[in-house]
Amino acid sequence: MKIHKYILSAFLGTTLLGLSSCERDPNDPGTEFAPNMYTSVAYDPFSQVADSTNKVNPYGINMREPAKGSVSRRNYKTNYTDSAGVKYDLGLMVYNTHKDSLEAAAKNLKNPLPFTKEILAEGKELYGYYCTHCHGEEGKGDGLVGQKYTGVANLSGGAIAKVNGGHIYHVITHGKGRMWAHASQINSLERWKIVSYVHVLQGQITPDGKSVAVAVAKDSVATTAKPEEKKTK
Amino acid sequence: MRYSSVIQDIRKLAVILAVFVLGMQVAFAQNPTAGKGDVAKGKDLFANNCASCHKIHEPSTGPALTGITARRNEAWLQKWIRNSQSVIKSGDAYAVKLYNDWNQTAMNSFPDLTDGDIKDLLVYIESVPKPEIKKDPQGGGATAGATADSGSTNIILGALVVVLLVILIVLLVLTSLLTRLLKQREDLDEAEKEVVESKFDLGKVLGSKAFLGVLTAIIFLVIAKIGIDKTMDIGMQQGYAPSQPIPFSHKLHIGKYKIACQYCHTTVMKGKSASIPSSNICMNCHNTIKNGSPEIQKIYTAIEKNQPVQWVRVHNLPDLVYFNHSQHTVAGKVACEQCHGKIEEMEVVQQRSPLTMGWCIDCHRQTLVSYTAKDGNGKDVLNPYYEKLLAFHKSKGKTQFKVEDIGGLECSKCHY
Repeated sequence: MKIHKYILSAFLGTTLLGLSSCERDPNDPGTEFAPNMYTSVAYDPFSQVADSTNKVNPYGINMREPAKGSVSRRNYKTNYTDSAGVKYDLGLMVYNTHKDSLEAAAKNLKNPLPFTKEILAEGKELYGYYCTHCHGEEGKGDGLVGQKYTGVANLSGGAIAKVNGGHIYHVITHGKGRMWAHASQINSLERWKIVSYVHVLQGQITPDGKSVAVAVAKDSVATTAKPEEKKTK
Repeated sequence: MRYSSVIQDIRKLAVILAVFVLGMQVAFAQNPTAGKGDVAKGKDLFANNCASCHKIHEPSTGPALTGITARRNEAWLQKWIRNSQSVIKSGDAYAVKLYNDWNQTAMNSFPDLTDGDIKDLLVYIESVPKPEIKKDPQGGGATAGATADSGSTNIILGALVVVLLVILIVLLVLTSLLTRLLKQREDLDEAEKEVVESKFDLGKVLGSKAFLGVLTAIIFLVIAKIGIDKTMDIGMQQGYAPSQPIPFSHKLHIGKYKIACQYCHTTVMKGKSASIPSSNICMNCHNTIKNGSPEIQKIYTAIEKNQPVQWVRVHNLPDLVYFNHSQHTVAGKVACEQCHGKIEEMEVVQQRSPLTMGWCIDCHRQTLVSYTAKDGNGKDVLNPYYEKLLAFHKSKGKTQFKVEDIGGLECSKCHY
């Protein structure tokens, strides 16, 4: 009889313990069944496999850096079709401009994209992803992060409203002043789309892609010394 | 002793005088009869050209501008604003010192500003009064709502337990009172006496067949429930919220500062996986913002050592299934939060969706294929890619089709 009782209480105790441990620790991913089916044999991007760090690359990371000076194939010669079926042959899209060559970039780089409504719509979307939090929705430099970061350029007024596409492309690629380089996040095609949309914010073209009769300095840069002669586009 | 107090008095006097002089200047500048320039025009010019780097009363990227007309004369300022670099190159001592004091940050040149514009600007700058410092009556109160949800269920459960205990106590008191009353009476028969005088025997109750039967049934059910739950839980990571090497808050970055997901997870619209940002992306803002914080310093250390920050992966899809982000975000136009939940409210990112096959299939069965694309005017037009498919479906009498109709349930779409 007594032994019976002890067995009973032991049973009760274990079930209570089992009940109390129902909630899983947030750091515990739980049990994996047949882990060899879960983890990739090939080196997958961003895969984390315990105890089998990649021995080939430093720090066990799966990503390899491309050889120095290599150009992504996508940036090499660009033919593409947009969602409306319009074909573009953009030629060479990547420009290995030097960080300090802002004036040369402003003079030589030409936006290979036409100012169509589609391109501007895509540019607006990309601007929303990569620029809005600092430069603000209307490019006034008043984004929520921009207010904290301070020193964010106002794209819609003043000297910057007059800079050309090559200048903007170079600034996105290499940064300027307070702004750091964004080349690792935005590929060159996307950069040119953003450039096109920034022209709308600058007031250089209308949202329909028609150029506005404002003075656009063909190759003036905000830091150039002497006032350059302006040409209307 | 004396001398020091005199010096202090002089200092106080000097401060008072300085404030007075400044105040006079502001008063003069504000005086419209001075006829020096247009404040409204200056304000506009300031917002367009200067505000991104200068604040009037506090240093920003460039120095605070209040009192500038007292520090420098107008001719110098005109030269400086039009082309600061040429002033520095000319060897002007003040300009060189200013340049070096501000980490050799070159000020943009504004060659297009006329003399009148610069006058307006200066008048505006000196017309802005110093804002009064207000203390925010903030703090606390914000976190109270967060725990309310789990709190309310606990309160209900607690109240239930209390009610049950009260009932138990009342019953016990009632029975003891009744037995005491009955014991005082003499006119009870044998059977009734036995009931009244019987003592509560715990051992007997515990040993009874009925009790043991019920108990075993309960224990069996509980063990079965736990067993089934644990088995069903294998391979399930829903609710997994690992702590990260740097406690990055999505709530702050997305919820408060509205940074787009794509800014950091750059490949989410382009590739199979949504990339985890490398340290240089953090640095785009944190080269300035909170760069002294010990957590941000971890990024600096990682960069100095050229070593990646080892974030813990939250969403682990097994290798036996293929999943591609761009397919869902671009072609499917699925929003991030549809699968990842309200990331903008998460302090620590948690896996919200079960990521089971049933969950995938469920969505593929319900989701209509969007065969339209936005044209330049934002109108939905037929995406030419789907033209033939749509024509074929129409010939079968279907005007809309779901993901399962275009092979969303095929095994080999995801398992190969």
